[in-house]
Amino acid sequence: MSSPRRLYIFSGKGGVGKTTLSKAFVRHLKSQGQEAIYLTFKTQSMSDAQTNGSDMSKNGIREIALDLEECARGYIEKRLNSRLIASWIVKTAFFRALVNMVPGFSYMIYLGKILEMGKENPNMIVVLDAPASGHALTMVESTSNFQQIFESGVVFDDTVKMLNKLNDPQYTKIHVVSLPSLMSWQEALELKSGLKQRTPVSVDITINNYLYPLLETNLEDIPPQLKEKALNEKKLIDENVKDVQCILPHSLKHSPEAIEADLVGSLSNLI
Amino acid sequence: MGPTSKPFEIFCGTGGVGKTTLATSRALFLAGKGKRILLITIDPAKRLKDLLGLSNDAIGEVTQVELEGVKLSALLMSPEKTIGRMAASGNTPDLASNRIVQILSKPYGGMNEILSLVEVQMQFESGNYDTIVLDTPPGAHFLDFLEGIGKIRSFFDKSFVEIFAHIGQKSTKAGKRLFGLGIFNKVVSAGVKKLLAYLQNVTGAKFIEDFVEAVQIIYQSKDSFLKGLSLQDKLSEQTMCNWFLVTSVEQGKAQEAVELKGHASHYIHKDHYLLLNKCLENVVRDWKPTDSKLLEVKVSLEEKESGLKKRLKESFLNILEFPEVVSLSPAEHLHFLTEKWKTYAS
Repeated sequence: MSSPRRLYIFSGKGGVGKTTLSKAFVRHLKSQGQEAIYLTFKTQSMSDAQTNGSDMSKNGIREIALDLEECARGYIEKRLNSRLIASWIVKTAFFRALVNMVPGFSYMIYLGKILEMGKENPNMIVVLDAPASGHALTMVESTSNFQQIFESGVVFDDTVKMLNKLNDPQYTKIHVVSLPSLMSWQEALELKSGLKQRTPVSVDITINNYLYPLLETNLEDIPPQLKEKALNEKKLIDENVKDVQCILPHSLKHSPEAIEADLVGSLSNLI
Repeated sequence: MGPTSKPFEIFCGTGGVGKTTLATSRALFLAGKGKRILLITIDPAKRLKDLLGLSNDAIGEVTQVELEGVKLSALLMSPEKTIGRMAASGNTPDLASNRIVQILSKPYGGMNEILSLVEVQMQFESGNYDTIVLDTPPGAHFLDFLEGIGKIRSFFDKSFVEIFAHIGQKSTKAGKRLFGLGIFNKVVSAGVKKLLAYLQNVTGAKFIEDFVEAVQIIYQSKDSFLKGLSLQDKLSEQTMCNWFLVTSVEQGKAQEAVELKGHASHYIHKDHYLLLNKCLENVVRDWKPTDSKLLEVKVSLEEKESGLKKRLKESFLNILEFPEVVSLSPAEHLHFLTEKWKTYAS
């Protein structure tokens, strides 16, 4: 088994099980003696609504939701050496327009925060439950957008540093999650190729919620439509097995926590 | 008790639930009844393109398509093309040629939602359609779309524009043009100068200048942007708009659908429908497996689905169920769903 990366990004269309899988993966890493945290982005734009990031322990794993305004304030505070000025800047209409309009600005702020957290604690592995498909591309692309927009300045220099970390295959790994349906699979492939064009780190596809193994004991004993569904799933996986990193079976459990617990043992391929 | 067609029909949902396919089938169903339909997708996955057999050239342009003998118009949003149309109709060529505006109107740039609203409004005003069926971005990004309205509002807010006009006074051509109008010939708070000085330390002076110029150019087209605001009223009016929230049994996320509805509560009125896609109930109901393992699967599938429906019924009055379609061909799938809409016709 290769040594773990420092940042794992789980992406894919909504509803494919990214959250459950990300959390299960944190548990898996912990079971291997690693220090891992689960992380999400709270908001993608700046509004007047008061939101706060959170940092809490739930069922033994640390879950952090980053808030954009807090992260932006933290960054500016560091650059200008003043919390007061930073608090004022992030509240101005001009700054909000800047963050809301420039593609990927919010992601740059978040990624900067993640890398900083990584620097503070060199043993910590961050598992990022990333925004869905198109936005994952923006996230990865944001660094190059920045180079086009900011031709110089501190942000530009920081961006270059960030990009080097993010694009380091030893540091970062991306998992695209898909369901075993043709539609979901095609989208996963599309996302993977989009990511591959933008970053040199490894991008693997994981199939989640695979029903076939639960039914194969007696395929004649199940309704025709369900059988067809299961066989279609199997066909999809057989045809594409070389492109699939990990296959996770459908769970009969109901609660996300129970499904999570079911998955923990099957995730060593994702490290 | 099925939905009566309205000038706007909005599909939103949690992503990966078949939202685009359902929106397309609804558009086909309505077009089949002789209505003039425009189907617009803001969904970045561009699946509509494949479903309707559109080529890449069609992106951003209203295109006539014919499916199963039914004709309708389709538009895959391209912020760049919308900007182009706005520049042409408002005679503001700078809008399309400014470097920063071009970057901001990239597919995932921050202008995306604002431009979608403007586009929908322009298409509505054309009067060419009985119904515009709108496929919005998945999940929380649907909220970004709704927030586009708020963004337009804050963007053209007077105090905000004053700041830009003030900064632009110094150097840019656009600034001079604005000042020629004499509207902003007023000294803005000293705080602005300070803010810029600080920001320049971080972003570099060149960028601030470019961004300000871009905003001023956008401001010159403010009339087209502000028209997008009137869409808000139409969408929240019961006679003008149907809301369809889509989720699927596969996801089992009742909570998310309920939250989505809650977030959009400013707009969503009584005529909203929850579309529950990929239902397996009919498939497994009469299944009597002899194998104990299979029985476990059956019970689990049934319980998951009935639990989900129960939770959804607590929050939604109108739930329309669409069964799981196992067929692999997208065309067959579409046909099946279109037929299903007929059974829900009022």
